[in-house]
Formats: sequence, structure tokens, C-alpha cells
Amino acid sequence: MKKPVYLLVIICVMIAGVLIWHQAKTPDNTQVVVVYVSEDQVFSELILRDFEKETGIKVKAVYDTEETKSTGAMNRLIAEKDNPQADVYWANEPIRAEVLKQKGISAAYVSPNAKDIPPGFKDPDGFWTGFSARARVFVVNNSVKDKPMTILAYTEPRWKGKSVITNPLFGTTTAEIAALFTIWGNEQAKEFMTAMKRNRVAISTNNGESADFVAAGQYGFSLVDSDDAVNRMRQGKPITMVYPDQGENGMGCFIVPNAAVLIKGAPHPEAARRLIDYLLSMETERKLAFADCAQIPLHPGVQTPPELKPIKDIKVMRVNYAEVARKMVETQPFLKGWLGL
Amino acid sequence: MLLLVIGLLPILSMLAKSVIVDGRLSLASYGGLLTSAHQWTLMGHSLALSSLVTALTIAFGVPLGILLGKTDLPFRRFFTVIFVIPLLIPPYIIAVSWFDLLGREGLLAYFLGVSATRVTARFLFGLPGCAAVLFSIFLPIPMLLTIIFLRTINPRLEEAGRLVSRWRGVMKGITIPLILPGVLLSAMLVFLLSFGEFSVPNFLRYNVFPVESFTQFSAFYNFKAATAAAVPLAVVTLVVLLTEAAFLRERTYQLRPSPEVRRLPPVELGSYRKWLLGLVMILGFVMVILPVIVLIVQSAGTKAYIEALGWAGDSLLRSILYAVIGATLLTFFGFFTGYLIQTKALSCWRSVDSLTIFLFALPSTVIGIGLISLWNTPWTNFIYSTPVIILLGYLAKYTALTSRISVTQLAQIPSSMEEAAQVAGAGWFRRLGFIVAPLARRGLLAGWLVGYIFSLRDTGITMLVYPAGHETLPIRIFTLMANGSPQLIAALCMVMITATLLPAGILWVIPGVMTRKVIR
Repeated sequence: MKKPVYLLVIICVMIAGVLIWHQAKTPDNTQVVVVYVSEDQVFSELILRDFEKETGIKVKAVYDTEETKSTGAMNRLIAEKDNPQADVYWANEPIRAEVLKQKGISAAYVSPNAKDIPPGFKDPDGFWTGFSARARVFVVNNSVKDKPMTILAYTEPRWKGKSVITNPLFGTTTAEIAALFTIWGNEQAKEFMTAMKRNRVAISTNNGESADFVAAGQYGFSLVDSDDAVNRMRQGKPITMVYPDQGENGMGCFIVPNAAVLIKGAPHPEAARRLIDYLLSMETERKLAFADCAQIPLHPGVQTPPELKPIKDIKVMRVNYAEVARKMVETQPFLKGWLGL
Repeated sequence: MLLLVIGLLPILSMLAKSVIVDGRLSLASYGGLLTSAHQWTLMGHSLALSSLVTALTIAFGVPLGILLGKTDLPFRRFFTVIFVIPLLIPPYIIAVSWFDLLGREGLLAYFLGVSATRVTARFLFGLPGCAAVLFSIFLPIPMLLTIIFLRTINPRLEEAGRLVSRWRGVMKGITIPLILPGVLLSAMLVFLLSFGEFSVPNFLRYNVFPVESFTQFSAFYNFKAATAAAVPLAVVTLVVLLTEAAFLRERTYQLRPSPEVRRLPPVELGSYRKWLLGLVMILGFVMVILPVIVLIVQSAGTKAYIEALGWAGDSLLRSILYAVIGATLLTFFGFFTGYLIQTKALSCWRSVDSLTIFLFALPSTVIGIGLISLWNTPWTNFIYSTPVIILLGYLAKYTALTSRISVTQLAQIPSSMEEAAQVAGAGWFRRLGFIVAPLARRGLLAGWLVGYIFSLRDTGITMLVYPAGHETLPIRIFTLMANGSPQLIAALCMVMITATLLPAGILWVIPGVMTRKVIR
């Protein structure tokens, strides 16, 4: 009859054992780094595993999901401001890194590997450093003869009801619209958005869906990230990638680099710096260029796959990402209204 | 007390933080609540989806339960197990499977061409698709409750009815009215579970209110707005539960199988037997077998499975470990709360029962936000930055299940057993440990199994609170969905299904009669 008590004791001992084992296997403070990641896990985890192999530092990661529109990790950082858990934030675009800087969540760190990265792609005070970028490009169905060459194509009558854009409330589309507001000013940007709506542009839920719509011939073109375009091209879909606004008077193509951020009060600062150095290395950029995410290296001289233009051959939209970050917040009510929400 | 700390305190902490702005009391966060047309649209979507799913599951689940629990339909036990499977696996896996079949590049496109799947994809992404997927997931609830309530009917009543009427008349006049509380209880459960479900509507892009709360939290991290957005969910849950408490609780919280239940022969279906068997087979194939086949086909080949284990082997082990610990704690905790409710040992027994049910019905997002709100401090890092936070989430959400199972099992133990031990001088712990627990072992085992399955499949709470490096398999699948290959995702889903069902299968086979008797 004493079986139940023994069973209970055994269960308690087992649970305690598992928890103690769990604690015991945790590496010491310099041999572990906690990173929050907004870049897709299928691409980022491979890089982090290589880092573990090469340095022996254990990486503990929290990845974003598509459902949180890649903002979950950043928002977790904001929630943990007074109780930081993360050492490094790998943002998939610099706007969030700017938001963290403005909220006092990140710390300055100028990595030695950042010196060859062009100044436009890093924070002057070292609060974030860009690497491996996506370009905002047009994906155009091959049946279209006269291809759109400028973002203003969205407002041209010949494209009425034939173009699609991703929901501008989320992701890189939000950033690009905010960038247009910073370049054109509020009035001209709002006119553009209104004209685009009048031209019956379709709204998709994400860039992948936009690219699929164009590949299936449902729409003529769409503004997407270069990785979405390259992916479909590698799958043999009938599409062409066009870098918009590359003419002499063109404003250039919006570039969205990843960003490495050191967190203020990071529990493992030494390991955090080593991880940032690793992310900003030429080798990491090469790996991300040849992976399915097809990202454009920002270091000069890093090899790129044939589908991608090197950064030096792209006319880049000159923007201040800090200003874009501020404008993104400011334009949210307008964009909600634009979408009828 | 423990239940208050684990379950209620996080919710109260979340509410308190939402009404305090700069150290002052303010209802500013609630100013925009349900004031925009968009929020009302979302609420309308939620109510439409829950109502549709409830209507469908009751319309199909109750007749199915009667067929499987009352008639001479062949393979009844086999079908009962088959239909329960979708309830045991994470809901979004069923959605992934239907997407793999009906999506623009799904298997149907391979056979019928892309033009056919334009129609099916339109069906899938919206209210009809969402309702269909949730219908297949929640169908077992009315089915099982119908079977269970049928077993509580005293056969003498039906026998008396049979003297003056055919089975159809007995069913209409006696059986169905007697199982009505069970039908209403299942309708309530399905309504609340589909109302709080966010992973399927989110995946199938049907905007509902829980997605709004989740997005406010995860995408904008507007903690106060997220809490405000969660309040209507909590209010609807509370209203439905109060209604249940007022009209049903006394008739449903204790279920005792009638001792004479086996005396009555099953209803003979006669010439309808084959037709009904065919219909049940078709329903089982479409709702359960087909989605699994699609995942198997999509993940075909060992390569995808090797890749899946390479990506998520550690998450799988972690999931199993947390589920085992969670199930053990849930069994232990559920047994005590069940005992409290069954014996009415304390005057607050009704509140304990209501609280466990309320937390179970409350959307996971709300519980997750509450847990973060309470435990995210430097002083409680030993909880917030360790898997303990996940285990607390399991306890808050799923104690109702193990508690209810314990109540049902304890109700079958004569109180004279414990009274005799008490007279002999045995203390409370001794009586509980040496008399009650051994007699309730079948219920404890069933409770452990249910606790394991629900802890393993949990997505909503874990996704919000898991510490770095502690992601579970459902979370790994969720995060890999962004740009992961369909083959890899399908293989991961199959691994998840196996991890969920394997222990149930092992317990079904090895301890033999014990588990089966409980499930019967």
C-alpha cells in the first residue's frame, strides 16, 4: 500500500533530476550567447550553428514567426527592457534597430568587421551595423513586354487593376512607403498612395504571395524583396527581376540590410561582441548570398550569385534610416485609413 | 491557493498594468475598445466562425456519438479512436495539411490543374475553410460527450419506452432529452475553443478577434492595447461559462455511468447499417485519414525526415520532456483540485471548479500575456528565463482537464472506503495516498495521458513565453514555416503527430485493460 508514496517520491526526484541536469548543462557565462532573430529561421539558424562550431559558444535563440510579421522578437526586447534576456538582436531590416536605439534598448558597438561596410548602411554611433541586404525590386511576369521601370508605374493608367503590392502596414513595404514619405514629403507621398489606390492596385498579405500572383499571371508586376524574386526565378517561374528607378534622374532602389545590434545590459557581452563580429564577416555575407535568401553582400569584393547585382552596380535610394523609422510610426494612421481599417 | 498564483494572478496583473499609466489610474487603453468598425468586424468574424463551427460539430457530432455509442454499427471503437485524432494534434497542422491539398500548388493542382485550385484555395482561405478545419478538430467533443452521456442513462427508462414505442420514439422522447445537458455542454466547449483559437484563422488569413489581441502584443507590442483587446474575449468566455454554471453545472460536473448500462442491447440499424457504415467511413476518411495521407505524400522519402530531425531533433526531445513534466504536474494538481470539487471539502470548491474551467476556456494569448506581465522581472528570472514559465502556462490552461477526469473517477469510489480509513484513525494525506489515489489510478493514468497530449500540442502559450533556446516542436514548426520547404514542414508535422500519438498508443497496448477501461 505504500506504492503511491514511493511513486510520488520517484516522480519528484525525477523532475528535480531533470531540472538539475538542465541547469548543470548550461555553459558558463562566456560560453553562451542569447540572440533574438527576425531573419527567417531556415537561413539564420545555419549561420548560428556555424558560429557555434567555430567558436564553441552555445547559441540560444528566439526566432520570429511569419505570423508576427517579424516584429515579435523586437517587441519582446522592448518588453524586457528592464530585465534584458538577450545579448544580440539580428534584425532583418534596420528600421527596428533604429527603434531600439531610440528607445534606449541597444548599446553602441563598432565591430572591426564593419569598417568596409558603406556608411549609409550603418549607424554613425555604432548602435547597429548593416550586413547582407535585400533590394526592393519589381517582379514582372515575362508576358509583359514593356516592363515597369519606376515605382510611379503603380499610378500609370496602363497598369490599372494589373498590379499588386503587399499590405503596407507590415514588413519591408511599410519601410519603403515611409522612405518615400521622407524623400517626397508628406503631400507628394500621399498623392502617390491615393493615385495608386485609384489605379485599383491589389493588396496581398506578404511579399511571397505578391510574387506568386505575378508568377501565376494574375497581375503584371509587384514590388517585392529581391529574395522573393530570386527564389521564384530559381524555381523556373516565368518572371523577371527589375531594379526600379535606376535611370539618371531616378531616385534609386530601396535597400534593406540586416542589422546586428548589441543589447544594453546584455547578460553575456563578450560572447555577444564575438557573435556580432561573426555576423558582419565577409564569409557570413557570402553564405547568405548563396543561400535561398539570396542577400546582397555589403562588403566590397564578396562573390554574389548570378541572379544578383553586386551592391556597387545598383543605384541605391539615399535615405536616413532613423528618419524612416520615425516616419513609419507617423504614417501608420494614414496607411490604416488608406486600407479602410 | 496555487491555482490563484498560477492562473488568476497573471490575469489580474495584466489587467492592473493596463489601467495604470504613469503611476495613475487611467482607462485610456480601453478608450478605443470596440469603437472602430474594424474591431466590430473582427468580433463579428469571431462570433460567425464560432457559431458556424458549433452548429456543424453538433449537427454531425451528436448523431455520430449516438451511432458509435448506442447502435450495432461495426468497428465502433475503431471509429471512436480515429475521430479523436484531430483533437490531439496542434490545430494548425490540420490547416497545413489542407493547404497542402487544396492550396494553389497543392496536390489537387497536380491532378486537376491550377485552375481548379483557384476555387479551392478561395474556399480554404476564409470563413468556409476555417470553419471546415475547426469542424474536423472539434468534432470529437460532441461525439465523445454524447457517448459518455449515453452511458449515464438508466437503461430501465429506455426499456420502459421500448414497450410502447420503436427506438425512434424512445430516442426522441427519452434518450435525446436525457443527453441534452451533454449536447449543450459540448456546444459551449466548442464555441469557446473555436472563439479563442487563433492559429488556424491566422494561417488561413481569416481575421478574428484573438488575432487582433495577438497582433497587438506580438507585432506592435502594445501591452495595454493587447490587454484591452483581450478583454472582450474574456468577457464572452465569462458570459458563456456563467450561463453554463447557471443551467448545466449541477447536471454535468459529476458523470456516473449507469451500473446497468451494459444490460441493454445496442440499437439495431437493420438495413441502414451498411449505408451508415459507408457514411461514417467517408467522414472519417475525409476528416482524418486524408489530411494525414496528404502530409505523408508531401513528406515522401526519408530525406525530408532526416532533414526534419536535423532541424528539430532537439526541439522534439525538449517537447517530450516538458510534456512529461507538465503531464505529471497536471495529474498531481488535477487530482487534488478534483478531490476538492468532488468531496466539496472546502466551501470554495465551486469557485475552484469555475476558475479551472475559465482558464481552460480563456484564449491562450490572454494567459501568455498575463504570465509575461507577472513574471518578467529581475527577481523572478528563475521562472521567466527558464522552462518553468512554460510549465506554469500548462498548469494554468489545462488543470481543468485533469481535474474533471479526477472528479469523474473519484465519483465512482464509494465514500465508505475513505470513511472507514478515517474511523481507523488515518489522516487526510494517508487516506488520500493509500486509499483514494490507488482506487483512482485509472483516472490518474487517463489524466496523465490527456495532460501529456495537451502539453505537447500547446502552441498559443508557449509561443509567447518560451525562453531563448527552449523552443518546443510546435513552435519550431511555426517558425520554420517562413520559407521552410513544404516537404520539410510536412515531415515535421508527421513527426509531431507521431510524438503525440505514440505514447497514447503505447499506454493503450502495454498496460492493456487499464487504459482501455478508462477510455471506455
